Amino acid sequence: MPETAIVLRVRGVRKTYGGVAALRDADVDIRRGEVHCLAGENGSGKSTLIKIVSGVEQPDSGTITLDGHDVGRLTPTRAVELGIQVIHQDLSLFPNLSVAENIAMVARVASRRRLVSRRDAMALARATTERLGVSLDLGERVENLPVAQRQLAAICRAFAHDAKVLFMDEPTTALTWREVDALLALVDTLRAEGLAVVFVSHKLEEVFRISDRVTVLRNGEVVHAGEVKDLDRPTLVRVMTGQDVTEDRDVTGLPPDARPVLETRGLGRRHEFAGVSFSVRAGEVVGLTGLLGSGRTEIAEAIFGMRPADTGDILVDGEPVRVRSVHDAIRAGIAYVPGDRLTQGVFLGQSIRRNLIAGSIDRLISRSGRLRGEAVQRTVTTAVESLRIKTSDVSAPVRTLSGGNQQRVVLGKWLARSPRVLVLNSPTVGVDIGSKEGILQVLRDRARAGMGVLVISDDVPELVSVCHRVLVVRRGRVVDEITSDRMSVQAVTDGLTG
Amino acid sequence: MTGVRTVAGVALRNAHVTRLVALTLLLVVVFSALAPRVFPTALNFQSIAYSVPEIGLLALAMALTMITGGIDLSVVATANLAALTTAGLYIAAGGETATSPLLLVAFCAAALLVGMACGAVNGLLVSRVRVSPILATLATMQIFNGIAILWTDGEAQYGFPDTFLWLGDATIAYVPVAFLIFIGAALLIWHIVSRTGLGTRIVLVGANPVAARYSGVDERGVLMRTYLISGLLAGIAGIVIAAKSTSASPDYGGSYVLLAIVIAVLGGTDPFGGRGSVAGVVLAAIALQVLASGFNIMRLSPFLYQIAQGLILLVVMVVELRRGRLLERLRGLLTGRPG
Repeated sequence: MPETAIVLRVRGVRKTYGGVAALRDADVDIRRGEVHCLAGENGSGKSTLIKIVSGVEQPDSGTITLDGHDVGRLTPTRAVELGIQVIHQDLSLFPNLSVAENIAMVARVASRRRLVSRRDAMALARATTERLGVSLDLGERVENLPVAQRQLAAICRAFAHDAKVLFMDEPTTALTWREVDALLALVDTLRAEGLAVVFVSHKLEEVFRISDRVTVLRNGEVVHAGEVKDLDRPTLVRVMTGQDVTEDRDVTGLPPDARPVLETRGLGRRHEFAGVSFSVRAGEVVGLTGLLGSGRTEIAEAIFGMRPADTGDILVDGEPVRVRSVHDAIRAGIAYVPGDRLTQGVFLGQSIRRNLIAGSIDRLISRSGRLRGEAVQRTVTTAVESLRIKTSDVSAPVRTLSGGNQQRVVLGKWLARSPRVLVLNSPTVGVDIGSKEGILQVLRDRARAGMGVLVISDDVPELVSVCHRVLVVRRGRVVDEITSDRMSVQAVTDGLTG
Repeated sequence: MTGVRTVAGVALRNAHVTRLVALTLLLVVVFSALAPRVFPTALNFQSIAYSVPEIGLLALAMALTMITGGIDLSVVATANLAALTTAGLYIAAGGETATSPLLLVAFCAAALLVGMACGAVNGLLVSRVRVSPILATLATMQIFNGIAILWTDGEAQYGFPDTFLWLGDATIAYVPVAFLIFIGAALLIWHIVSRTGLGTRIVLVGANPVAARYSGVDERGVLMRTYLISGLLAGIAGIVIAAKSTSASPDYGGSYVLLAIVIAVLGGTDPFGGRGSVAGVVLAAIALQVLASGFNIMRLSPFLYQIAQGLILLVVMVVELRRGRLLERLRGLLTGRPG
């Protein structure tokens, strides 16, 4: 590979926050016309690196060169002028302006033209979308578009402003599989146009599905860089986590007469998933895995009544239950630990106590609606002790806890109800390795005590470690079931990517 | 270490209330020094106690909706409708001669029902139609005002009997009855917010509506009840206003909406939801009336009073911000994480 192919070169970049090194002497090369994955767990330094190359933060030391020239001191405006663009998860679009105006806006502002002509904007936007083969209603206001189309608009905007390197921060998080396909098609076009596209992700499938090369960060250091085709899944997991993938399965055998606590029959929701039938028996931990946008989260949220299914039945303890709302699901004995802890799981500024009782207020009040102080205290103490939540003061805000302990609080909120079925979505994302095992142990213990546990996850070793069976979802359907006798990291990985 | 942190935490959490007490006492001391013959007198303190309830009740209503992340701009219009309801009923029942205590109870109940009906309209708009609270209550404020003006041709309504006016001018052990009503209402709201399941849900919905939904909190029901209670408080305010001013008027208290917001925020209510202190709101209402009384006694311009109000709000907010940053920094030091 000739040197000229490298468009963005990062050398020896170091950044320290309050004595903690977020990035240590990081070297990264991004080449023209490649899809590069910047992979690493939460806190590995990915975000810091993006902030530095996009001029939001200044490095303590190190250099950044673009097309062979040292960029010097970067500011966000300078970075955009040079062609380094970042598509953040919030997309940073103007919701009240049309798609065309959004696409043309940055280019116009940068060219220091004071007046913006609507016709010019439309022409530029049309040229851009046609060239990229994207179909978007250019006259529509951005706020009226679904997230996936807003994202396409943001990408078009970057392209219209001569981006050379386009960073996308976890772009597939909010998309369904159809939308992911559309996004990946666009990424292919961008690659063909000679752009370097950098996917930032901690999700293994993304690395394997779309990337040409990968740079892995861990604890602020680049621990691996190379071609994706030279890697296999376990190796990537090892470099990302720094731990060997041990198949330390710790699963208790089920009694043959264990009865199903949760069953779904032909569950479906338009455009999301269809014909989903499975069961979880008392004492069983069942995994539900799939690629991003496969429908795994949608299935979980349908069982919990957040986005109810259109068709099919849900049974708890053999009895059909009507789940049209979260309230219905909770009453039926279903609990759900959602995938995005910070926005869906915890009340960050509220006390640990209040977080722990948030799911069982109805059980903690007297007939007049008064909270029974003693019952509240008992619930809180039980949760803190049984889940070993590390805190000295339950009136302190949840914000003060580590990620792992915050997740234990979310678990505690539901265990306070002793649900029949516990559904968890990505229960250990953003939780450090030590805490992770602790959370898995909680799941095993609860299952042994007779609860049915359904774990939605794309963390293969975690699934192998804790699940009796793993169901694989693809394009909204359960396509495979990996039973205990053939459970292995390889088997689940094959199922996922199959 | 942990003990120290606990104590520090409790002190910091209650610091706002402590600061408001200090502010009120400071104002009392300053005005007493400036006007030693007039200000620190039983009569003056009693007159302050007469002036607090109407705005205090409206501020409580405002604070409650703000805790859910909303707002109720229609509180004053609701209060006026409730006041006009009692006036209309009394006029129909014979005006000053309708002294039966039974009528008093019935007509006050009618005023509270009207207040709650207004609250129900707001609640429906916010929880079912999903109009943003600021717009929904801005619209209902105009509607309630319009109804009041149409109903009365814009004229103030007189004709209350003494049994009703007693609520506005009587005292029990030197304490005005209206003030006792205000304290009673504040205790009720305090009980709801900090001691009931509904109160916990109100705070949770305000703190993070998404997480509340994922916790099975019935957001619609919570919002509906919140605006009902807000309407109820406005109804009580309407009764107090009518009894104190011996009349009901469709355009009473034009500046009260903003003042109620100032008091709610000054009292420690987070305008973004999830946090609020009933004790804080009560203290803030008292502090501002002490200030008003002081300015009045010093014969200062009411416009100066407005400026002082704004300044106090700004100062308290700045202190609050500083405290937040200081806390972040402390936390960073304690956990060793970057701040």
